[in-house]
Amino acid sequence: MNVFIYIIKRLINAVPILILVSLISFFIIRLSPIDPLSELKLNPAISPQTLEAERVRLGLDLPLYKQYLKWGGNFIKGDMGVSTSGELVSDRLKERIPNTLLLTGIVILLTWLVGIPLGIYAALNWRKPADRVITVFTSVGMAIPSFFYALLLLVFAVKTGWFPIGGLTSFNFAQMNIFGKIFDIIHHLFLPVLVLFTLSLAGLQRQMRGNLLDVLESDYVKLARAKGLPENKVIYKHAVRNAINPMVTLIGFEFAGLLSGAALTEYVFQYPGLGRLVLEAVMKSDINLVMASLMIGSIMLVVGNIIADILLKLVDPRVTME
Amino acid sequence: MNKKIIYTILILGFFVFWGSSCLHRDVIEEEEKIAENKTEEAIFEKIKPPFEIREINGREYLISRGDVGRYGGAFSNSTIGEGPKTFNIWNSKDATSSTLAGLMFEGMFTTDAYTGEVIPKLAKKVEIAKDGKTYTVTLRKGLKWSDGREITADDVEFTYNTIIKGGYGDTSSRDVMAVDGVMPSCKKIDKYTLEFVTPKTFAPFLRMLGFAIAPKHILKPITDKGIDEFNRFWGVTTKPEDFVVSGAFKLKEYVPAQRVIFERNKDYSMADKNGNLLPYLDKYVVYIVGDLNNQVLKFEGGELDILPVRGNQVARFKALEKNSDYKMYNLGAGDGTTFISFNLNNRKNDKGKYYVEPKKQKWFNNNNFRKAVDYAIDREFIVSNIISGVGMPLFTAEGLSSIYLNKTLAKGHPQNLQYAQKLLSQAGFSKDENGILHDKEGNEVEFTLMTNAGNLERESIGVIIKEDLAKLGMKVNFKPIEFNVLVGKITGSMDWDAIIMGLTGSALEPNNGANVWYSYGSLHMFNIRQGKDAINRTNILPWEKRLDELFSQGATTLGFENRKKIYDEYQQIVYDYNPFIYLYSPLNIYAVRKKYKNLEPTALGGVIHNLEEIYIEE
Repeated sequence: MNVFIYIIKRLINAVPILILVSLISFFIIRLSPIDPLSELKLNPAISPQTLEAERVRLGLDLPLYKQYLKWGGNFIKGDMGVSTSGELVSDRLKERIPNTLLLTGIVILLTWLVGIPLGIYAALNWRKPADRVITVFTSVGMAIPSFFYALLLLVFAVKTGWFPIGGLTSFNFAQMNIFGKIFDIIHHLFLPVLVLFTLSLAGLQRQMRGNLLDVLESDYVKLARAKGLPENKVIYKHAVRNAINPMVTLIGFEFAGLLSGAALTEYVFQYPGLGRLVLEAVMKSDINLVMASLMIGSIMLVVGNIIADILLKLVDPRVTME
Repeated sequence: MNKKIIYTILILGFFVFWGSSCLHRDVIEEEEKIAENKTEEAIFEKIKPPFEIREINGREYLISRGDVGRYGGAFSNSTIGEGPKTFNIWNSKDATSSTLAGLMFEGMFTTDAYTGEVIPKLAKKVEIAKDGKTYTVTLRKGLKWSDGREITADDVEFTYNTIIKGGYGDTSSRDVMAVDGVMPSCKKIDKYTLEFVTPKTFAPFLRMLGFAIAPKHILKPITDKGIDEFNRFWGVTTKPEDFVVSGAFKLKEYVPAQRVIFERNKDYSMADKNGNLLPYLDKYVVYIVGDLNNQVLKFEGGELDILPVRGNQVARFKALEKNSDYKMYNLGAGDGTTFISFNLNNRKNDKGKYYVEPKKQKWFNNNNFRKAVDYAIDREFIVSNIISGVGMPLFTAEGLSSIYLNKTLAKGHPQNLQYAQKLLSQAGFSKDENGILHDKEGNEVEFTLMTNAGNLERESIGVIIKEDLAKLGMKVNFKPIEFNVLVGKITGSMDWDAIIMGLTGSALEPNNGANVWYSYGSLHMFNIRQGKDAINRTNILPWEKRLDELFSQGATTLGFENRKKIYDEYQQIVYDYNPFIYLYSPLNIYAVRKKYKNLEPTALGGVIHNLEEIYIEE
């Protein structure tokens, strides 16, 4: 079947999922006893008229279902509404998304460039010291909580003074030349990238190693070896090619995690990304902002899955698009 | 198999050592420090003569009261949270936006950070007519906006009559200025003179004339387009060069979630004693940090030059101060208050049901009962245990830094359980053989104490109070609940027994708390009257009535001494009748790098009230 029609079909299927996600998130946020106006209510300087005006401005005076319909209608039209502080949600997202993409993009690129070869290497050196060392390190990587690890590195930065304490750029960034700017960003990105890289590398490397070990046991690899193919060809043409399939599926999830995967690390490093924005929005029950980010997350997941499926088709001719 | 274990241990060991070496220095001997914090002298009663005005090149400059410094350098501060929402100061609703935009726009008057008095800033002088209603303000000559235009009475008249009175931006400033719902009038007399007339004498008005003045030539076209257009104007996405300012600093760069950078305004209207134009600093940087821990780390890492030090950190910072490049300043108690309050409401709701159980109404409305609770609480213990001694016991409705503080009450009284017991038995309460307190009718005294969950200080206070009151035989069920639910109970359903709460205060103007003390006020939380109860002012207690009178007198009386008497009496009433039982005020302690000179921290102004005078030592 045509790839194009396939994509359309999948997108149509995604609509009910998105509606369901939005319904559940909207009502969970709204039914929780968090009132965006409670801070104002306890401020002696705020008059009841001002409070009422705020309620109307945020649409809190409408019944719940009307609030949802109003939000949904606007969202479809591409209008994500205003945050509780009055700015356009789309503006707020726009200023943060590139920063998060920069961080997660680098991390994903690095983990795949290092993780896959390392997985292959470990599988080929199965039970040799090199494999063992890698295994121990990846076990630590998987076990250590990202939050704690990030904090440790932050303390490290404070004590040594080798790295800036959070943020993305230095205060004199605007006056630097282009090389200075690139170096400054790398300097700031190093620690957050290290945290995320260590954590996701562990998972990816182990997955690749496991897959390849399975495949290396299979009959067709034994046959290839038996018929005297060079070892290089056996591994890279036959074994790795087959072991990579499950990894392709993972790409779909990685894609979904592009925007939301780094929230905790972002928070610890005070990284000006989406995660920190959304975390603060949840605490303040800034419903439009939270909804927008949840919806973007769900859309990314759907799109990521479609991309993964298409990639799978490209990698593996046995897969059909039915 | 063995090898694997050895590898694991080796690597784990590496992580543990690394982690512990990082963390080691943070755990420093706590014990000796508590006493030390207390002995440190707070900065009080430092007075400087008022600004002198000197004419230089045809412009009238305010002359700095600090030493002559040198130009250059930057000062890095920080703000916790999301950062500014707007730089339009007339539309800022949150403290961060107001503070940051406040650097760029000045008012006719300001508060003297040393004395708390209202002193002229853009204005030269003010004359108040004998009737106490007419204010004639004269502006300084030759004041300049940062685009070179002169600041004149037109700008003031426009700001007051169009922006504030017209309801542009945040309307709460209008609400505060209105006297019985009527806004004072404003009329331009000539290029430098204006006349304000209040409908009746209204004491807080002079301080309110400190509102930021807007450049008419820039904002007039915007206000003509309507309120929405104005409210969006000068938001966080505006290009820095588009701002036209009157303050010491001008926006240079705003990087969302990272920092705000201000640069020196070359046209600022202050100079030092030698006639050099202020400010000295080239840049003022405000980092936007997400939480307290990050703020501390950034200070320790040298990125910040100033840090508000919290209670549990004071000991550590104090210990490290000697060998470091910072100095600590104790600004004394802040103006916020923490208190416990009982629900005195004895009315019924619309469905004919009492808000508070009738037997509890009797306890809570009994003056002796509240006084007994007041005497049973060990405030010293709360201060030394919950905020590591970095605070002061509080007994008065005005905070300890308030210029209206009733000093005779401020010392308060120590915990006295015998006296508390005596008060209770006078009121007919008695303890049974198990030590449980009963009222006259024989009901066991048991009530619920609530506070907002997540506020660790208040949660720990609750536990201490529960134990203190258990000594009197009261059974307190302490229940922290979600902040929003609590606010809903206080201002809406009113079904609560006792709460631990806090309110922000004002060190300069008791009338800002009028909403709490008027018997019909929307924050009169110990006895809220809503709907027809507020209009009819149903069953007002005698002392509530006296508070109503005092607050309306206070607002319409001029002169500090006269008002002081009125507000002294209000504090006495609150002290005697205990609608709020005040607990403590935390101290404001700051660490600032030593290289900055002309630092004159005051209790009222904080550390950087004279930012334009601060310079870096050679």
